[in-house]
Amino acid sequence: MRSYQSVLILKPDIDEARVAVALEKIGEFIKSNGGACLKIENWGKKRLAYRVKKNRFGIYLNLYHTLESAKVSDLENKYKLFDLIIKYMVLRLEDDELERALGKESETEEAASANGDDKAEKKTETKKDS
Amino acid sequence: MPETKKRSFFSQKICRFCNDDQSKVYIDFFDIKALKPLISERGKIVPSRISGNCAKCQRILTRAIKKARNIALLPFAVEH
Repeated sequence: MRSYQSVLILKPDIDEARVAVALEKIGEFIKSNGGACLKIENWGKKRLAYRVKKNRFGIYLNLYHTLESAKVSDLENKYKLFDLIIKYMVLRLEDDELERALGKESETEEAASANGDDKAEKKTETKKDS
Repeated sequence: MPETKKRSFFSQKICRFCNDDQSKVYIDFFDIKALKPLISERGKIVPSRISGNCAKCQRILTRAIKKARNIALLPFAVEH
């Protein structure tokens, strides 16, 4: 079992519900092949640096998951046949890279929550002053 | 002092990725803000002799840029 990162580009003209459906489908496939989705990121609609299948924009998805190493080619085949995906990239992650990737968000979340707390405190302070 | 002249012409020889505590350097291929300044107008990778990055970081950087190109975050070539 190794950890992987998949970056997917979906067609730009689909709505969020279909993105969610696609994500679910991929998640199910990973689970059925003995893997687990560790983290899912949606980077939203972005301008592509060059045209991909005549599209200038794309919806980026970023998945961190584990998978049996023999099943990776199956997963890539699945991506290839998925009609909503216009481009994909599967990267193998070393343990330290995965840890860093998973740790990153919690840090930012903590920072955000800390900032929020600060703001809340500040608000209360200003209220007290007034 | 030809060397100092050269230095002043190019940017200073300071690696922008090396950190002080000598820990492992990570460059994410999706961190475009960090990669953009190291790409020329044409989409080429800026050589380390101009950017001032150390050899080790330059190697990690080129790998990151090539990954980013693969997934359409950075261009292979910018046409004029």
